[in-house]
This record gives sequence, structure tokens and C-alpha cells, in this order.
Amino acid sequence: MSRRLDRLFGMASELPKTNNIHMLLLISVPVTPLFIASIIFGSYSITPWDALMAIAGRGTAESSLIVNSIRLPRALAALLGGACLGVSGAILQALFRNPLADPYILGVTSGSSLFLALSILTGSVLGLWSPFSPYSLYLAAFIGALMVVILMVALSGVVRSTTTILIIGLMISYLAYSLTSILHVFVDIEKLRALVYWMMGSFAGARWSLLSPGIPVLAIFLFTVVLLCKPLNVLLLGEEYARSMGMSLGRMRMFLVAAAALPVSVVTTLSGSVGFVGLSAPYLARQLTRTSNHFAIIPASALLGATLSMTADLISRLALQPIEIPVTAVTALFGAPLVIYLLLKGRGVQL
Amino acid sequence: MIGAVNLSAGYGGTQVLSAVNLSVGAGEFVAVIGPNASGKTTLLKTLASLLKPLSGVVYLDGTMVSKLRARQIARLIGVVLTEQLRPTQLTVFEVVALGRYPYTNPLNTLSETDSREVLRALADVGIEHLAARRFYELSDGQRQKVMIARALAQEPRVLILDEPVTYLDPRARVEVLLTLKRLSKERGVAVIASLHEVELALRVADRLIIVSGGRVALYDSPEEFVARDGPELLYGLGGETAFSPELMSIEFRPPNNGGPRIFVVAGGGSGSLVYRMLARLGYRLSTGVLHAGDIDYYLASLLGGRVISEKAFHPISPEKMQQALSEARDCQAAIYTSPPIGPLNSENRILAEEIARQGPPLIVFGNAVIEGAIARVDDPAALPELIGRALEDGLEARPAAVRR
Repeated sequence: MSRRLDRLFGMASELPKTNNIHMLLLISVPVTPLFIASIIFGSYSITPWDALMAIAGRGTAESSLIVNSIRLPRALAALLGGACLGVSGAILQALFRNPLADPYILGVTSGSSLFLALSILTGSVLGLWSPFSPYSLYLAAFIGALMVVILMVALSGVVRSTTTILIIGLMISYLAYSLTSILHVFVDIEKLRALVYWMMGSFAGARWSLLSPGIPVLAIFLFTVVLLCKPLNVLLLGEEYARSMGMSLGRMRMFLVAAAALPVSVVTTLSGSVGFVGLSAPYLARQLTRTSNHFAIIPASALLGATLSMTADLISRLALQPIEIPVTAVTALFGAPLVIYLLLKGRGVQL
Repeated sequence: MIGAVNLSAGYGGTQVLSAVNLSVGAGEFVAVIGPNASGKTTLLKTLASLLKPLSGVVYLDGTMVSKLRARQIARLIGVVLTEQLRPTQLTVFEVVALGRYPYTNPLNTLSETDSREVLRALADVGIEHLAARRFYELSDGQRQKVMIARALAQEPRVLILDEPVTYLDPRARVEVLLTLKRLSKERGVAVIASLHEVELALRVADRLIIVSGGRVALYDSPEEFVARDGPELLYGLGGETAFSPELMSIEFRPPNNGGPRIFVVAGGGSGSLVYRMLARLGYRLSTGVLHAGDIDYYLASLLGGRVISEKAFHPISPEKMQQALSEARDCQAAIYTSPPIGPLNSENRILAEEIARQGPPLIVFGNAVIEGAIARVDDPAALPELIGRALEDGLEARPAAVRR
């Protein structure tokens, strides 16, 4: 925006761009303290100094083990996972032009965990691939997520009603849940424990072996997703307007579907079904920044998603110590009322 | 500029329009009119390349549109659709800046040219003052202007609008239409807009496209359309509605239910308001003596009144006078609308005085003074009640009339 032109038309000060940047800075404030808290607090508390020493490789054997093998990967999974869920939710909401869209509600998460279970089962029964290798897990989760998003996009072309889409999403979740439960019968106790993780959602299972292939994917995703902000903004006006302004809808929809499915599949692989973060983060982002511009909404959703999931993770491990509550049980506490509120408010909700 | 050759259009294999041939030049404002579900939207979307033609071609500046990429088309055609948008918190400036989509890089950084075009578009539609407002706060009329400005920011050569004024209040309707008309001249943009309001279309458009019964016809002017086919083609008007080519207006005739008949002495346009009021209230109308070609003459005929008329620019003859007087005597009340009186119609004043003396009760509307009139009013709102009273008086006076 050229300053001179602005002054010419006397409206530079009213353009809300700078406000957005201030708000983004404000939103990013809690991320670092929460990350540190995620490393320090738990069934075994560690002082910040010990944690720092452990990360630097000079800690005691005990603190080093806890920090480096358990707390750090868990905190990273919650941070990146939450950020990605927030971004995925923002993309889905623009794609469906529906503030209720969320990977969990639309059944994307369930589709992902269903394919994880299928892959583990067929992998261990048929022995064609190593069922617990990170790559086969990620691949299976991605295929599952992708299939559900594509299905939902296809359905949204036919079904116009928001509520119908949501109910179909819920039913897909139940379907996936039921199939996954049946699959449990065929799996021995050892593997069952792992499957239960994926169904309930918890960052406790995050290990470096699983994280290390996922982190670069998530990091690259978070940086390249900014390229989708321009088409997402145009999609706010609807698909026909987007096309009339020169967007090739078919190709762009493919990109967006993949961009929504990819982070969900990674998060599901790492931590199972984490619900409502993808719903709440973009909603809060719009409320706080008071804009619909995705150049502000996407980063804000990432930051708020990270904040929400790290907070939920902390609560899940601290609230009923030493027992851990599933993360989704915590996120549902604020997510479910928000869904009800948005449903009641109907079309009045700004996107 | 934009044209179609042998175009067939429709949705999912169902043909809605066929054999469409038309061409619209730069700076022309073309209104597309036709009944609901006649295919106006299909035509516009096909021209805008939002729908693939079933057969035939759309061309822009001599290039087939099918050979252009989406981005290139977007630089030539701006579109405003009829659908209501989901409210968004984008500012007006941001929405209009979306129109720069086919010009900007993936990060959407606005160059100086981009910003200038956005501001020019805002100014051209007259909404600079709204730039910092959020879209969801705006009225329907303002939103529509924002969408037009956004289309203009694409620097299009052709602007296609589907019912741009349908959801607007009358004032915003006229504003938006005049804005479009001005833009077509100032920017040399070809504007193609579908309108439901035939009367507005006839008054504002340079040319007309009529979509009806799967056919599309292009008329070079509203006058040509009116002279050749008339809106009967469009809406099958008849019976209780009537269209006047002279006045380019649609009127509603009162139902012929044997209601009281009222005689109006008018002329020179002084009767128009009273005629429409009587028709609306369901009275039957007789009027005279009107000169052929007078506005009152066209309107009264259109409303199905009995009109006693004289040849244009001829003095009113004694026969017509007599005819008018006897017609007035058959009515239950009479109104004198204080027409301007000159050498050719001075008899109308005498006619009014005669009616006051020997006809039904006479009301004077306007500033004329007629001896024997039961009342005189300037406020048209007072007329219905006075007519009601005059009708009651007329019933009481009837025995006297019979005696005579």
C-alpha cells in the first residue's frame, strides 16, 4: 500500500492492517511460556534450569531422560499439532464457507484413525509392510483423511444444509469408530494399547521415532500455507465469484483439500483424534483480529491452535494427576458449547 | 466487444437457450429482461464463462473465450452475481482489492497500480467513504456497490451483472442503475445487466436483450422493442394489466365489477394522478373532453376508461361537448382536475359548470373555482373520502334528477 496514495485519499489510518500485526503479536505471547510449562510440569516436576541443562545435554540421567525423550517430543507434538489443526480448521471453514467446519466434526480425524487401524491390522496380519513404521502410519492416516475431505467436498456440492453436512460428518466418525472397534478384536493386547491411543487422543505417545519424519512435513506446511491465503480470501465470496476473478477452482480445490488433510493426518498419527481445536482456533482468531483476511486468520489460527492444544495437554496431564485424561475430553469442554452456540447463531456468524 | 455466435446454453445437458446470436459493444448499457426462469442467469453465466456453452462460441474482442485462461478472462470480464453473500469481516477496501486477483502475486501484495485501481473503483462507484468499513455492516445497496467496485477493480472491458438491483430499495435501485449507466459511458465498459424491472430497463438501457421461451432477441433500443413486439411478448400482459408504448409504463386496470362510475374533466396531464387513484380504488372511469395525444388521453384509455376525445389541436366541438355532458350525467360523481385552460379547451370549464348544475355532484381538485361544486381540495389524499361523500349525495339527489 503506497503511503502517498493513502494520504491522497485520507484513509490510511483506518485500514486495519497494522492492528492485525499487533493482534498477532499479542496472540503469540502465551506460546513460549506454555511450551516451557509443557516441559517442566508433569507427574515429575523439573526446574527450568534442569530442563535447560537436560536439553543442552548436561542434565542428570533422570531429568535428561524425562525431558529429552518424553516432555520435549510431547510439547513439540502439542505445539505443532495444535498449530496444524488450527490451520486445517481455517482452511476447511473457508472451503465449506461454514464456521462449524472442523477436521474432528467433519470426520476427517476419524477417517484418518480408521485407516491407521486398518493399516496396522492388515500390516500385522498379512505382513506386507511394517505396520508401526512411521511412514506407513503417516501414509495410511493421510489417505484416510484425504478420502473423507474429498467425500465431504463432494457431498457439500449436493447437500446445501450446514446441519446435514455436520450430521453426515458425525456419522462418518461413528462409522470409523465402529470399524476401528471391530478391528480391535483382531489385535493382541500390546497393539490394542496403541490403537486406544489413536482413538482417544493424547500427546503422551509422541516419541522422536514418530516425530522426526513428521516435524519437517508440518514445518514446511506451516510456511507454505501462506500461499493459500489469497485464494482462501477470494473463496469467502463463494466459488462462482472466485472463478469469475480468475481462480481455477478445480485445481485450487485439490490443493486446499490436500492442505486440510495433510496436517490432520500427521496429528492423528502422532496423537490420535484431537477434537475441536480446528473449530475453536479460527473462530477465536476471527473474534480477536476482527477480520476475515486469511493473511491474518491463518497465522492467528496456528498460534491459537498451538495455545489451545498445549493448554489442553497440560490440563489433561495435571488435572487428575497421576491419571491422564484424553485431550479431546478437555478440548470438548470448550469446543462442544461453541458448536452449539454457532449452530444457534446460524447464518449470522461471520466467516 | 463481447458476442455470441450460435450459442446454446444450459445446465448439465439440459438446454435452456438455443440459437443465441448477439454482440455488445464498448460503452453500451444492455438490459436483459425476461420472465422468471426464462434463462437470463444461464445466458449471463455462459457469457461470463462461468458455464460452459453446450455449443457455439462466446468471443471477446474477436478471440474465442474458450481459448483464454481463467486469469485472462478475469481481466476482461467482471461479474456481479445475484446471490446474497455470507457476511464477512473483510473491509470494503479488502473486498474491492480481491478484484485485483488476476493481477497480483500469490502473496497478494498490492502494487501502486493495484492500489490506484482499487481506489479508482471505489471512487467510480462513489463509496470511498466506506473503504474502512466492514462488509457485514453495510446495507444491501452498499454491498451491491462494493461488489460492483470489486468487479471494476478487475479493469474489465465487460461488466456482467445478474439482477444487480433486485434486493435493493427503490432509491438504491435507481442509484445503482445510474451508476452502471455512467460507468458504461465513462469507462467505455460494455455493461450487461439482467433486470426484473421492465419499466426501469426501458428508461435506462441503450439496448435490450429479451430472453423468453428459450429464445434470445437483441433490440437496438428500448423504442425498437416497444414498437416491434411490446412487453406482451414478455409477460403476456392483458386483462387487468396494460402497457402503454407512449408512456412506457405498465398500468393496472380496475376490475370491471360494476362499481360506481366517475366522470373526470381533465386534460394536459392534470388528470393522471386522479385516474390512477380511481383505478386503484376500483371505480370505473369516464373522462372528457380530452385531445388525442394528451398524456391524460393515453393514460385514461390504458386504464380502460370511456374517453370522449377531440382531434389534437382542434377546438372542442359542440357535439363532443354534448356527448361528454350526457356521459357525465350517467356517472355517480364528477371531478374537475383544474386543467390549464386555453383557446382550444375552454369548453371543458363550461362542461364542469354544466355538470355542477345538472349532473352528479362535482368535486374540484386543484385551484379552479366552479360554481355549484360540492367541494374543492388541493390535497389528493382528501379525495377518496370526498368521492365517497359525493356518491352518497348522488344517491339522495337521484329522485331530483329523475324528476327533471
